[in-house]
Amino acid sequence: MKKSITPWLCLLPAIAFLGVFMVYPLVDVVVYSFEEGYNFASGSFWGTGFYNFSYVLHDPFFIQALKNTFIIVIITVPLSTGIALLISLGLSNIKALRDLFQTVYFLPYVTNTLAVGLVFMILFKKTAYSDGLVSLLIQLFGGPSVDFIDGPYWAKMFVMCFYTIWVVMPFKILILTSALASVDPVYYKAAQVDATPKWRVFFKITLPMISPMVFYLVITGFIGAFKAYSDEVALFGTNLNAAGMNTIVGYVYDMLYGNSGGYPSYASAAALILFAIVFTITTINLMVSRKTVYYQ
Amino acid sequence: MIMKKSICLCACLILICGLLSGCHGKRGGSSFAVPETFDESKNIEITFWAKNDTNKTQTAIYNKAISDFESLYPNIKVNMRLYTDYGKIYNDVITNISTDTTPNVCITYPDHIATYITGNNTVIPLDDLFRDERFGLGGSEVRFDSVREEEIVPEFLAECVIGENHYALPFMRSTEACYVNKTFVEKLGYTLPETLTWDFVWEVSEAAMEKDSEGNFKINGGQVMIPFIYKSTDNMMIQSLKQLDAPYSDEAGNVLLFNDDTRKILQTVAAHTKNGAFSTFKISGYPANFLNAGQCIFAIDSTAGATWMGSKAPLVDIAKEKIIDFDTEVMTIPQFDPANPKMISQGPSVCVFNKADSDVVLASWLFAQFLITNEVQIAYSETEGYVPVTLKAQNAAEYREYLEAEGEDADLHYDVKIKAAKLLMDNTANTFVTPVFNGSTSVRDAAGQLIENVTKAVRRKKTVDDKFIDATYEEVKALYHLDSGTSGAGGGKKSLGPLPAASKTLIGTLIFAWVVIGFFVLKGKLKSNK
Amino acid sequence: MKTKAGRIVNYILLSLWGLIVLFPFYWMILTSVKGYGAYNSEYVPKFFTLSPTMENYITAFTAVPLAKYFLNTFIFTVITTLLMMVVVILSAFAFARLSFKGKDLVFSLFLSLMMIPNELVIITNFVTITDLNLRNTFMGLVLPSVTSVFYIYLLKENFEQIPENLYKAAKVDGTSDFGYLIKVMLPISKPTIVTITILKVIECWNSYVWPRLITDDQNYFLVSNGIQEIRENGFGRENVPAMMAAVVVISVPLVVIFLIFRHKIMDGVARGGTKG
Repeated sequence: MKKSITPWLCLLPAIAFLGVFMVYPLVDVVVYSFEEGYNFASGSFWGTGFYNFSYVLHDPFFIQALKNTFIIVIITVPLSTGIALLISLGLSNIKALRDLFQTVYFLPYVTNTLAVGLVFMILFKKTAYSDGLVSLLIQLFGGPSVDFIDGPYWAKMFVMCFYTIWVVMPFKILILTSALASVDPVYYKAAQVDATPKWRVFFKITLPMISPMVFYLVITGFIGAFKAYSDEVALFGTNLNAAGMNTIVGYVYDMLYGNSGGYPSYASAAALILFAIVFTITTINLMVSRKTVYYQ
Repeated sequence: MIMKKSICLCACLILICGLLSGCHGKRGGSSFAVPETFDESKNIEITFWAKNDTNKTQTAIYNKAISDFESLYPNIKVNMRLYTDYGKIYNDVITNISTDTTPNVCITYPDHIATYITGNNTVIPLDDLFRDERFGLGGSEVRFDSVREEEIVPEFLAECVIGENHYALPFMRSTEACYVNKTFVEKLGYTLPETLTWDFVWEVSEAAMEKDSEGNFKINGGQVMIPFIYKSTDNMMIQSLKQLDAPYSDEAGNVLLFNDDTRKILQTVAAHTKNGAFSTFKISGYPANFLNAGQCIFAIDSTAGATWMGSKAPLVDIAKEKIIDFDTEVMTIPQFDPANPKMISQGPSVCVFNKADSDVVLASWLFAQFLITNEVQIAYSETEGYVPVTLKAQNAAEYREYLEAEGEDADLHYDVKIKAAKLLMDNTANTFVTPVFNGSTSVRDAAGQLIENVTKAVRRKKTVDDKFIDATYEEVKALYHLDSGTSGAGGGKKSLGPLPAASKTLIGTLIFAWVVIGFFVLKGKLKSNK
Repeated sequence: MKTKAGRIVNYILLSLWGLIVLFPFYWMILTSVKGYGAYNSEYVPKFFTLSPTMENYITAFTAVPLAKYFLNTFIFTVITTLLMMVVVILSAFAFARLSFKGKDLVFSLFLSLMMIPNELVIITNFVTITDLNLRNTFMGLVLPSVTSVFYIYLLKENFEQIPENLYKAAKVDGTSDFGYLIKVMLPISKPTIVTITILKVIECWNSYVWPRLITDDQNYFLVSNGIQEIRENGFGRENVPAMMAAVVVISVPLVVIFLIFRHKIMDGVARGGTKG
């Protein structure tokens, strides 16, 4: 009997905090999304129904935000996880300078993203006076001058993805290096005895041993990328719609503070759509992980 | 067990939902009535949200006003919170309306107040307070030299009317002015007319784009020259439309901006952006920086930015070595009809929020009144090209002396700044404001965005033809939700039409994904059952 | 080990990424020592400065009471992290080691909460905290920031990798579940716990949106508010060098903490408890 209460007792603090500060707002949001056209300042709404969802799905800026978010997710998550894996492998194979590299790689996590975003913006932006540092570099190599912050869509998307990957790398490298370090050397010794080739060692031993962590990074990576917003603001300023670089969360935020008193109803509808998307993808991820992740 | 638990969970959720939807109703208090007496023994604390132009002197003036007021009314304490951006004040007020924690006094714009008053008695109408014998304007029991209603500049006071009531007191007023590099204009062989016209400005700007054999601009021998830079493109569009007597919006909240006069204006802008004769602040940067470095000839900015303009400007953002010597002329913005100049009237106003305790509201009103007394008005207007909103202050000896001392030094009596203030005072009858309604801010933003889009497009070498302008109209309408019927006019649902392709794909994919998931889950269950 | 050529390529690639990471920081420090006028006069950004100045650092501390903000942030971080550790360890333990009906369902529910973006819950939390009269208090700052499913998930993964044998051995010895948690699991997962602590510290240190919404009393501002103030204070336009100076100063404690604890984090070797 005692056994069945303990788990719930252990979970109680978490449930309490999450309940008040996450579940309750979520329910609030659901309610808002069905109250059509709710206006913050006047505190009134037209009635209940699906109008909010319909409005959001028709809004060209929501669709643009949808596209942007998907592109960011599809590009940054696999790339950042892959590069992090490569770097972690590289790190675990060297002895000298490893500490130095690890410290350096972790720096982006420690600093304020708004400030770093500002720096990136300065480096990439084209002003009346100069083409921006990165653009100048490109011209050095014979390419055309590109305005990354105010210019064509692909340039903006490139900066965005580059910055996002730059920002999420430290955490992934950290997790993966710990995971690699915690693989029991017994297995490697056994492989050495059998004279197994390097790539086989990687795919048959290393990868499965660290697969829980890899999947953790993939799942949280997807979730985090879908929630991208503050990075965009750091690079492009707050008027993301005008820059064509809005994301779904940005759309939600803009809706909350609209110029005519705030529309929590549309914001909530958009947020629920986002939640549905992320929930679906996470469920798929979890199911795939159940098949492929190896636990001892 | 799991079934029971999930049912319990769902029931709880539904219960909470029921409670919450009740909480989404209107909050707000009853309407305000002037109390019989002002309780002096009661300690009252009021919050004041102020805006300054990132200017330490202005902050100091606010602080002095607060301490002067507090010494007159020892039972009132004023807590100030500073902002540099009207948008942030607006966002914070909206957030706080829903929790009944709005400030007491706040510096804001009538456009924003129009949104605040959609709530229940959030902002109090001031007419009763104006006319109250004891505590109103010029009231008998006010402890300082209160300004009477007739002593406020009538045009400025009229701007604070929304519907039928005054919801604010004007605090400071400014307008837009064109700061001209007179030396360069004359170097190009032109003489400045008494009133600038659009044709003149475009002509001179195009002439300034001439380059010499080495690719430098002839006019300044340098690599950078943008002859005409406009800071606030929304004002550019609004003032141009007004000068042409063309529609923009009306009191009922109808958006009339997307018409053919607008189209002509946009095409003119596009034509002159082509070889770089025109640009905006959002694209290139502060006009003052370019003007002072001899890289701009016509810099249009608020008169409240006058201390940044000119060779001897007291406030500079660029390195001192880059500033060149030239004569600055402060003129009205370009006009289509120089005989009937029209320019916008801008500047902060003060509003008072409703609270449950009417003594608190009265105290807030007294403080708001204090802000338009001579001392505060004159001190604040001297920090920039602002003009006091009261005739009392404008005619005061101290202010007259200040105006006379134009040019005596390059600081308090900086000539460009005083010229800018005089410009507004001379043209008060020529100023106008746009109709105020819930959503008027969005229309204003849309007006500016049209010009920004066109200018950006030309710089990216796109063609700006009728088709492009039509597309921009649609984009801007969607961006600011001007077609959604949720702003002032309309206010109902609109019929939305068929779902766009992307949305259909999204929903389709989601449904498909869940079907597949369901399939696999079933498969797993069947396997384990076997 | 790889061939010599392979090793060199390895070093080159690692150095390349290192440079990419370091460059913006170099730029930040560089900007923070450029004078305000000098910074604004550079049309083409320069890679170095001939006359470095400390004026921005002085501005950073005098324009706003940065020292007080440091203290506030410190208190906020310590309280939040301590609370979080308790909550996270207990929850991860329940999910990883204990078995109870509905475990999977509850865990998926927790996971789904992770998908809620912060921007969404912020308004409702604002209303809740205001109604509870906790604005401009440390409790108001701390409470919503305590729990993060992110860390529960991470720790749970880590706990689950502790071999079953250890648990069985402990049971044979007569240790209770809690005893097992404290005596065996925590020491083994020390690296992860240290990692989580540091990550939470960093998160608290850099948090901006929530504190800004909740506090308008300067006595409760955090360092991130301070940076914003520097941005908007003084005369005129954004004082980017001063802002950079503030950011550098603010990041230093975090870097120091990371340097001190990094070995503990990287030290994943203590797990080999099943030898022999």
